[in-house]
Amino acid sequence: MSLPSPDHHPSTAPSRRPRAFPGSGLAKGLAVTLRTMTRKSVTAQYPDAQPDLPPRTRGVIGLFEENCTVCMLCARECPDWCIYIDSHKETVPPAAPGGRERSRNVLDRFAIDFALCMYCGICIEVCPFDALFWSPEFEYAETDIRELTHERDKLREWMWTVPEPPALDPAAEEPKEIAAAQKAADKLAAQQAAAAAAPPPADNAADTTGEET
Amino acid sequence: MTLAAASHGFLSPTGVEIAFVLVGIATLGAALQTVTSRQLVHAALWLVVALGGVAVEYLLLTAEFIAWVQVLIYVGSVVVLLLFGLMLTKAPIGPSPDADSGNRWAALTVAGASAAALVWVVVDAFRATWIDLDGTVQGSAEVSGRSLFRFWVLPFEALSVLLLAALVGAIVLSRRGGDAKGAAETSAPAAGEERH
Amino acid sequence: MSDTLALVLRLLAVFVVFLVFPLVIGQTEHKVMAHMQGRLGPMYAGGFHGWAQLVADGVKFAQKEDVVPNGADRRIFQLAPAVALLPYLLVMVAVPVGPHNAVGQALDAGVFFVLAVMGVGVLGSLMAGWASANKFSLLGGLRTAAQLLAYELPMLLAAASVAMAAGTLSLPGILDAFHWWWVPWQLIGGVVFFTAGLAELQRPPFDMPVADSEIIFGAYTEYTGLRFALFLLAEYAGIVVLSALTAVLFLGGWHGPFGADGLGWLWTLVKTVALCFVVIWLRVTYPRLREDQLQKLAWTVLIPLALAQIALTGVIKVVIS
Repeated sequence: MSLPSPDHHPSTAPSRRPRAFPGSGLAKGLAVTLRTMTRKSVTAQYPDAQPDLPPRTRGVIGLFEENCTVCMLCARECPDWCIYIDSHKETVPPAAPGGRERSRNVLDRFAIDFALCMYCGICIEVCPFDALFWSPEFEYAETDIRELTHERDKLREWMWTVPEPPALDPAAEEPKEIAAAQKAADKLAAQQAAAAAAPPPADNAADTTGEET
Repeated sequence: MTLAAASHGFLSPTGVEIAFVLVGIATLGAALQTVTSRQLVHAALWLVVALGGVAVEYLLLTAEFIAWVQVLIYVGSVVVLLLFGLMLTKAPIGPSPDADSGNRWAALTVAGASAAALVWVVVDAFRATWIDLDGTVQGSAEVSGRSLFRFWVLPFEALSVLLLAALVGAIVLSRRGGDAKGAAETSAPAAGEERH
Repeated sequence: MSDTLALVLRLLAVFVVFLVFPLVIGQTEHKVMAHMQGRLGPMYAGGFHGWAQLVADGVKFAQKEDVVPNGADRRIFQLAPAVALLPYLLVMVAVPVGPHNAVGQALDAGVFFVLAVMGVGVLGSLMAGWASANKFSLLGGLRTAAQLLAYELPMLLAAASVAMAAGTLSLPGILDAFHWWWVPWQLIGGVVFFTAGLAELQRPPFDMPVADSEIIFGAYTEYTGLRFALFLLAEYAGIVVLSALTAVLFLGGWHGPFGADGLGWLWTLVKTVALCFVVIWLRVTYPRLREDQLQKLAWTVLIPLALAQIALTGVIKVVIS
């Protein structure tokens, strides 16, 4: 017989947890399942009850076409080339008489093929004019894959489902725009305060203004 | 059975007797199928039918206990073991080409001879015995248990010793491989080589 | 004539129970399992909490094509579901539900009858496993056979202990001899019987023969439609039978703290349903045992426990007589 030698076992024994009453683990397992049964289950019955989706949900991409300048950044950045954009140029007459004629891009077609789209959101990230938005809308399944290419009118409709941006966390940093505006306002206020405090001591005032500019 | 029945009026059989004969014929047919079938698993399943038929015969003779033990041991365990063994082999679905051996005539002779001997012994021993199906039940668990532990204790114990010996033998056989290896390693490497 | 009529009525009642109870247990399993996992389970079929889910499933099964694989052993393949299902119907005939002969058919050696016939049911799985011409089915059949051989013995020994205590093999006879203190006395035997019965039914955590992560669905892999449904029905009928038998043998069947005569059948029912719940509960709670663990549990734990129970029964039986 080539059984493992008995002195092999004690080395593994200390690493084991001290054994409780035999079967207590089994009983604990039973208790867990029984307790779960008495609790209310968390299932949301979707078709009957609409899911409460967070505002940043990546459901579908909406197009705010008034903002679109046909810069094509989104189409070029799209990793799987699912955005189709057609446009033409129009010439706009000069705003003031004698001025120069301007040309501008007019959007003819903007379509996203959601059968290809992988919901990475890069197009939304790169859009410099805030023309693309995430919407939590998700019920747009079709019976034919070709019908998943949605045109600009449909994308524009989805804009109405885009929720307001969520409020910031209480401890979050201020948005950059507000921070910049605040900084500018603070500077202005400091300048005015300095200007108001300046007149009485004339020689000191010249020094401070010189440093400031 | 027919001989015993003859003394009690062979020409007007009761319903139980008719059923007994019919089940007997069916059992015999199933048994013949078992030995002649060329599909191994079919043979095993026909054996189930044959053994079940025997159990029904016991029931008809009011030996209820024996009948259920027959089902439990033979249909429930022995045939399952048989099927288990068959599944471990390469028994194909469909006829096995090597199901027949050249000894079939010898086997038939032996089977016929032993069947004749058994029938002769049983008929000779129980010629005048008559099971009264309408009276008290003679094959109930109580009756069987009493006769087993009162009149047949010695054979019963001898059988259990035999089974114990078989059990020990099975353990020894199943452990032999490890033993041989150990022996070969320690004492006789040459013998070990041969065995491998 | 009235005797025949009574017998026919009894058998009809057993048949109705046989058709209804497994469905009820199946539905209970859907819901209990779901809630134990924090889900809801079926909610739509039939309107109220999906009560008709199994009816819908049955309709679905009936609509499916009855496929027999090309290489299969046709007749055995088609016969197997019936062999798996019918024994449980036969067993149900012998299970007493109340005092005063409230049983489909009282049998002298009832314990042996039920155990013998339950063992035959496994033959269906073996036939299915072999006849499917599929390696997964064959593996499932092998595991079924190995499991049956291992667990039949402790089950028999545990049942024998009760029969010893009562001094009879008849199920109503055992119940007539029952006293409340038999429950603690035969507790070990009861646990062994129930566990071995679960293994024989191939219920989780002893569902190695149908382990879907390894061998798809074991012996039933190739089955579709109604034949597959029959196998499922056999499993749930088996749960009912096992629970009823455990209730009768170890929990005193129709005996209860009160309402001995009129409500006997209710006690049997309550105990059976409670045990069915335990079967489901165990399925949800425990992971599947590995094949070697399965065999080890049977041969090194259950059989010694059953033998110890028999010894205990014998000692106490001698002491009190």
